[in-house]
Parts: sequence; structure tokens; C-alpha cells
Amino acid sequence: MAVVAAGRVLLLGGRWSAATASGGPSAQTLRLIYTTTAAWRKNIAASGPEKYTEAFIKKQIEEFDLGKRHLANMMGEDPETFTQEDIDRAIAYLFPSGLFDKRARPMMKHPTEIFPEQRKIQWGEDGRPFHFLFYTGKQSYYSLMHETYEKLLNVQKHQDQLAAQGISPQKEKKNLVGSRWVTKTELEGMLLEKLSDDDYSRFIRLLEKLMTLPCSDIEENYIKKFSKEIAVQLQKVSVEPLKYDEQGVAFSTGEGVRKTSRATAVVYGSGTGKITVNGIDVLHYFPVLQDREQLLFPFQFLDRIGKHDTTCTVSGGGRSSQAGAIRLATAKALRSFVTEKEVEFMRQAGLLTVDPRVRERKKPGQEGARRKFTWKKR
Amino acid sequence: MYLCNLSGPQNVADASCEPSALFSAVGVRLAQVRWSRYNPSFLEPEVNKELYQKPFNELSEEEKEKQELKAVRPIKAAPPSISSSVFSDPMISKFTNMMMKDGNKVLARSLMAQTLENIKRKQLEKYHRAPDDEKETVECNPYVIFHQALKNCQPIIGLSNITRGGKTYQVPVPLKDNRKRFLAMKWLITECRENKHRRTLMPEKLSEELIQAFNNEGPIIKKKHVLHKMAEANRAYAHFRWW
Repeated sequence: MAVVAAGRVLLLGGRWSAATASGGPSAQTLRLIYTTTAAWRKNIAASGPEKYTEAFIKKQIEEFDLGKRHLANMMGEDPETFTQEDIDRAIAYLFPSGLFDKRARPMMKHPTEIFPEQRKIQWGEDGRPFHFLFYTGKQSYYSLMHETYEKLLNVQKHQDQLAAQGISPQKEKKNLVGSRWVTKTELEGMLLEKLSDDDYSRFIRLLEKLMTLPCSDIEENYIKKFSKEIAVQLQKVSVEPLKYDEQGVAFSTGEGVRKTSRATAVVYGSGTGKITVNGIDVLHYFPVLQDREQLLFPFQFLDRIGKHDTTCTVSGGGRSSQAGAIRLATAKALRSFVTEKEVEFMRQAGLLTVDPRVRERKKPGQEGARRKFTWKKR
Repeated sequence: MYLCNLSGPQNVADASCEPSALFSAVGVRLAQVRWSRYNPSFLEPEVNKELYQKPFNELSEEEKEKQELKAVRPIKAAPPSISSSVFSDPMISKFTNMMMKDGNKVLARSLMAQTLENIKRKQLEKYHRAPDDEKETVECNPYVIFHQALKNCQPIIGLSNITRGGKTYQVPVPLKDNRKRFLAMKWLITECRENKHRRTLMPEKLSEELIQAFNNEGPIIKKKHVLHKMAEANRAYAHFRWW
């Protein structure tokens, strides 16, 4: 009879859930618990980031591989050698999108790139956590610190042993310049855990302490896990070969940008040092001395002032930014005429870098980009 | 033919030690700018041609390390106010920028050029008027006069306000190189803007002040001596300084 009553009440708002009281004799009695609609709406924010099970990810990977093969068939290409670039091109062709943000456009990527790597559940069925440092909150970080300190103690023990035998360890100075430590984001990716700046700097200091010890070569493999190589800057830039026009004169082109100016320069191998900008002689186009100095800067740096003729076209910006754009363009063009060592010198003199400084926007509530309105007491 | 007619600084040795002192050893800013369009890993560019022509063997340990670092790190773009020619002097650029009003660099540069021309003219007059045995002592190079005048104007010790127990004391404090240079230039410019007749032009007044400072006389040198005397008088409070 109580169950029938509960069934009738369900037609109204609210939800009545029946709960059996645990216990022997009164096991049949139902305790009615009233909850409102507002209470059983799920608190999405409190439940944390969405958790993906292993089975789910596996299924996604299978679907992705199958979809890739279908796509290859649709495009008429070989499914075995269909790379990610081909997928991107095919999707861009089949689903053209006019959206500005690249991340908003349709994409088809491998599930490991879309679903972020997550940690598995850290506790067993009985609720007991697996890792002994679970209750510190940052178990991977503290276990990493413990491991690194263990290595440090190991090295010190080895050093003491050598000292007891009478051998003083000699350390050759390692070249630190070509390598860097992992950044905070990379370390967070490795540990799958959020770190604070303080935690990160403590870890790096410990690693540096480990590295400065004489016998640290024993733990070199461990240290290598946390260091990355920096490529020499020069290798990133490829120098174009010289081109020859109809008269057989060698020439080279370069493009330069500064603020809103865009410039292209053509530097000829043989000449008297004449510079022509947009068909006008440089003395007329740039009446200010500073701009002409900037145009001559690359030539003066390489001691080639009277040796090259230059023809430039420039548009946009003001007088100083146009001069800066042409300077960059001529420096880039001169790379083809000059040895690799001199290209490196030009780079170190700042001639080959694009100046990223642009006008800062005005903000609301302020008079300009930085200047605030006059403060009045009342 | 495109550059100005004044002769470049003959005594480049003085000019070449100044530029490296304006930036720190590695070319990284000592005080990080709060927000810069460049990544903090970018290094300052080195424009001086002579440093690149040194062969590898002559470099000291420090310079070799610096070179190795420069090979792997990206470098900032050279600013539009400097170039590798002999005519671009970092001290003169800094002074020109301090003289500039409302971003009118063209005017500031022309004033600077006129000042140096005036110095040259005055010194040449003096040279031709001097008897033969004294002709060698007259310095005609305006760049040398400029650098020496600024050096003579730099104070060695400054005063800083420290509040102890409600009272503010003027405590003598050693000044950094940057601060000394800045004070010398600031005093010169304020002196030339304020204490002149309404009709005298800036280049004329500036050239006069520079020549006076070169000879260790004039109002700016006097101001420097007054500051030194104040610091000497407040010597008793020197122990208030904690840095």
C-alpha cells in the first residue's frame, strides 16, 4: 500500500526515491527521501575534467583508422600510405570552412592528439590508493624529487668511495650551451600533474646540483631524460643561390617587413652603389639622414658600399618603418653574395631579424595604450 | 656622399669602450622589462664591426663563451637609431633622445649636428688665434670634447632620501654608471633649456656649455661640486645605507 502511494506522488514535481532501511525485521519498510529537481541536476564543474576509459580510447582509435581508410578510398588514393597531411588536405577539400579561427574548422586527427592523456584511477576497489605518496596531493612530483635525490646520494657515495681509495675524480667541463632543461609545461606533460613555479625551480636546482658533482657521469642517462638539445640558430635558415638576368649580371631578391610596411629589394652583383626606391632616387625618397643610414647599414657592415646596385619597392607604414623594411630586405638579399660566416655575423648584428614591435592598442578606460586618465580626487 | 660632412670621431678607443658598458656582459638586460614583444631568450645585437674581425685565438675565455651562447640563441633586431658606421655613437644617440620632445627625432638630430658644428667652429677660431706653441693643446674634435665634457660632469656620489624615525635624511650613496651618465646628460639639458636668454638658440648654448665643461668650468661642474660637498657634509648619516 505504501508503494502505491509513492507511485501516485511521483506525478507531482519532485522525485521520491525509496530507500530500504538496512536491518533484519523491518527490511520491508521504505524510507521516502525527497529531492528537488535542482538538487539532482549534475554539478558538472565539481566533477573535474571529463574522464575517458581505456576501452573508449581504443574504440576511438579503431574508428579513426577505419575512417582514414574510407577517406583514402573516397579521394582515390592508396589507404596504406595515407599520411596525416593527406587527411588534413582531404578534410579541407570535402568540408570547406570560411571560419577565421583554424581551431574551429572541421578536423580529423588521431585520438591521442584530441583526447588529452589522463591518469588512470589512483586507487583500488577497496578505496586504498596504490602510490604511497598519494595523500601529498602531488605524488608524481614528490616521487620524482625522491628519485633524483637518491641519485644524488648515490653519486656522493661513489665519490666517497673513490676518495677513500685515494683517486680524486676529474671532471671535464661539459658544454652546457647546446642544451636546455625541460620547460615547466614539458615537465607537467611528463608527470601528468600540475606543478607550481616554485616546484619546478626546486627540481631544476636539484638537477643542476646533481650535474655539478664530479662523478655525475654515472647518472648521465637519468639527467639526459630532462635535458633537450638546442639546434644552432644558423642551421634553421637556408640561403638561396644567386640568380642571373639576361645581361649575365648576378642578382638576388629579398623581402622585408617592419610595422605595416612591406618591402622587396633586388640587389645586383655589379654596380656603383645606386639605390632606387619605387622608381625614385633614394636622396629624394628619404630626405632624412637617419633613414639613408639605415639603408646603407647592411652594405657598410659587410664593407660593400660602392659595389652593389639596389632597386626596391616599398608600400605601407611611415618613413622610418619603410626604411627598416628595406634594410631587412637588402640584408636578406645580400646573404646570397656573402660567406656563411658573414651571414652569422649579420645575424648577430641584428640585421636579419624581423622587428616584432608594433603599435600597442589603446585600451578602454585609459587615454592611450599606457597613459591613464588624469586622476581627480573628487 | 649621402652622409654628413663632419669628420668622424678620431679617437675611437674612447667611444668603443662606452657601448659595451651600456649593456651587460652577455647582452641580456639586467632588469627584465615587464612585457616585451621579444621572448626573454633573445639576446641584444652587437653592431661593432671590429669585434667580429678578431681572430678566434685572441678571444678571452669569457668572450668565447659569449660567442658560443650567441650561436644558439636568437638575436633581437637592431634598432633604427644605431648603425655600424663610425658616425653612429651610442652616447650621442642617448643624448639626442633625451633632448627630443614629442618624438621629433628629426629636430633633435639636427640640433645635435648643429651643436657639434658650433663646437668645431669655436675650437677652430681658438686654434687659429692661438700662438704656434699652444696650437697642439687646442682640441678640435667635437666628439672628443663631447665625451670628455660628459665625463667631467658625472658625479661620483649622490644623495638618497632615507626615512628613519619620522625624519628624512639625505644619505650619501655611491651611484651606478648608468645613473652617473644620466645625471650628467640631464643637468646639461636642463641647464641649456632654462638658464639662457630668450633669443639664444639651443645649439649655441649647448656648445658653449660643452666647451666650458670640457675645461672643467661652468654651471654644471659647479652643480656637481655642490652635490659632492653636500655628500661630504652628510657623511655622518652614511651608515643608514643598507645596500
